[in-house]
Amino acid sequence: MLLGGIYALISVGLTLIFGIMRVVNFAHGEFLMLGMYLAFWAFVVFTADPYFVVFVAIPLFFVVGLVVYGLVMRGVIHASHNVQIFTTVGLSTVLQNVALVAWSGDFRFVRPWHLSTVLRAGSTIFNLTQVVASLIAVTLTLALVAFMKWTHAGRVMRATAQDRDAATLMGIDTDRVYRLTFAIGIAAVGAAGVLVAPLYSVYPTAGLQFVLLSYVVVVLGGLGDMLGAMLGSLIVAAVEVAGSYLFGAAWKEIFYFILFILVLVFRPAGLFGQRGAETLGV
Amino acid sequence: MPRLVFTMIVVALTVVVGGELATVRGQALSGEYRIGVLEPVTGPLAFEGKRHMEGLEIVRDLINERGGVMGKKLVFTVADATDPTAAASEANRLITREGVKIITGTFSSRLCGAASEVAARHNVIYWESSCVDPRFNKRGLKHVYRTEIDATGFGWYNVEFIAKHLAPRLNLRPNQIKIAFLSEDSSYGQGVTESARQRAKTEFGMQEVMLEYYNWQTLNDMTPTILKMKQLNPDIVHHISFSNDGVLFWRQAKEQNFLFKALVHAGATGYGGSDFGKALGNDANGVFALLEPGPGFRLEALKPEGQAIEKAFRDAVQKRTGTYPFGAHQLAGSGLWLLKLVLDRSQSDDPEKFRAAVMSLDLPVGSMINGWGVKFSELGQNANERVQHYMLQWQDGQLVTVWPEEFSTLRAKWIPLGAWDQRK
Repeated sequence: MLLGGIYALISVGLTLIFGIMRVVNFAHGEFLMLGMYLAFWAFVVFTADPYFVVFVAIPLFFVVGLVVYGLVMRGVIHASHNVQIFTTVGLSTVLQNVALVAWSGDFRFVRPWHLSTVLRAGSTIFNLTQVVASLIAVTLTLALVAFMKWTHAGRVMRATAQDRDAATLMGIDTDRVYRLTFAIGIAAVGAAGVLVAPLYSVYPTAGLQFVLLSYVVVVLGGLGDMLGAMLGSLIVAAVEVAGSYLFGAAWKEIFYFILFILVLVFRPAGLFGQRGAETLGV
Repeated sequence: MPRLVFTMIVVALTVVVGGELATVRGQALSGEYRIGVLEPVTGPLAFEGKRHMEGLEIVRDLINERGGVMGKKLVFTVADATDPTAAASEANRLITREGVKIITGTFSSRLCGAASEVAARHNVIYWESSCVDPRFNKRGLKHVYRTEIDATGFGWYNVEFIAKHLAPRLNLRPNQIKIAFLSEDSSYGQGVTESARQRAKTEFGMQEVMLEYYNWQTLNDMTPTILKMKQLNPDIVHHISFSNDGVLFWRQAKEQNFLFKALVHAGATGYGGSDFGKALGNDANGVFALLEPGPGFRLEALKPEGQAIEKAFRDAVQKRTGTYPFGAHQLAGSGLWLLKLVLDRSQSDDPEKFRAAVMSLDLPVGSMINGWGVKFSELGQNANERVQHYMLQWQDGQLVTVWPEEFSTLRAKWIPLGAWDQRK
């Protein structure tokens, strides 16, 4: 369940961008990696705990999202999916190699005091850092759901996702909506990067180990459905852990990809998405 | 007059002796000799690839201070082999556009097969200094060579260490040892693990309680594997890790309070890399990794020529990096030094003359960097028994040489590993 919390934390930003902008952001893992590096350098230079750094990361990555949207994404937002994919893959490669040049390929580690702290409940042992990351994932998801449901900006974003042309005719500045969406999505994944940094090694391609899995989570949960993404994360993590335990670690991906294919065949809108939503992109 | 004659003799001697020394240390080299270097200097393998490049550059400079190769200054044309496809296409470019006759690299078992196939198609010499895939030299490629031990050698050494060094200290006979095999699933991990499994079972009758492979690039959690291991209660965990999977296993094993008697790894990746110690500090204490020599290595155990080059190499690495050589430095460096020895002998990069020189080299253990010797088989593989390897152990944040004991001033500790908080 805790592993699922981490997957949810990483996936929530992706599902937001995927669902509203209909852009497949292949650079999602690299923004996660940048969040991990932020946690690392803040820890090394200022001895700052990632739980503190996360409050810096959210506005910082929000700005990064705005800048990247303006420089890169705005030009391709109306282009074909192929162009969008090439653009985000290119962005991913650029970010990886910038990190490689700037910080080398060495593995870096964040070791706050709570890294080795474990919580015991009977014979079950939990890592405190994982527990906190999962709790924040739940909080963040619920906050985003509330934002989308009950704020004017959220309603505007949902309207744009349902029909971009109609939203434009109603006077909605769709470019502004996409900019906001992208910035929120990047802020979420940047925060995720900071929170998972103590659990995993920090290196230029660290995001790759999560990004494919995030797509599985997002499709399982339903495109753009944040609660669905959270439930999808728990399902993927459960399948992964059970598969590893019962059949061996080599089998874990086979099981969740079988589930992924079954969902695509029988419920293309995702396990929790609205039927037909896949054609609308919501 | 006698004073004038004496002075002239002294001047003449100074010129002659000085000139001779200059030919040894800083010989006037006639032109350049260019080889192709294929290493992953960007991408997911760059963390090791860059260290290999460092090792190659350090030994290239040592070579050029000592007469170069074939009387020429050795220079590199470097190509970036990020993955097998890039390795093949860059090897092709080095040969067809840069015109190199010798390619060296690539460190990884993922890359060496693809790159060497291309070299073989063009009848160009391929000189591998690291990758340990056992299939590498079994493809009938006449001009493909490997200076490093292969994975079967790693497995052989690991089981030798477990059976002959650990078992007596655990008061167990080898056939009483319960061993769990865990490995990342590349050809490197599988090669080491399968050869270790075979020797452990057939030669020593060890009890295999578990075998599990995994993909290190997508591994996020090892708790299920650890919980399973706790139930099986092995004495030894034989774990071949590639990168952060070693850190993840060790950290989560501690969280789950998984107790066993020893963990044995092989290679400069995972537990054998400096990153493992950086990540865990003193929590890393006790892990064994089969490697090239580290601190505690006795220079006096080597032949005189081995002592000289090993010392020069260590000093050069220390000067450039401020550290004792890492495994990647040692593999790349020793491979390049051996290439110099061959070219000095062949005086040609003609593949047939080069091969004749390779096959004629016969140096005992202790003759080279890392204390290695040289004797190539017809398959182009330097004999595993000449590529002497050493068991290192993490002790207080450092990997130190502990076995074979005749090569080391230090000794293994924590046998068996005690409780997690007792390994200080």
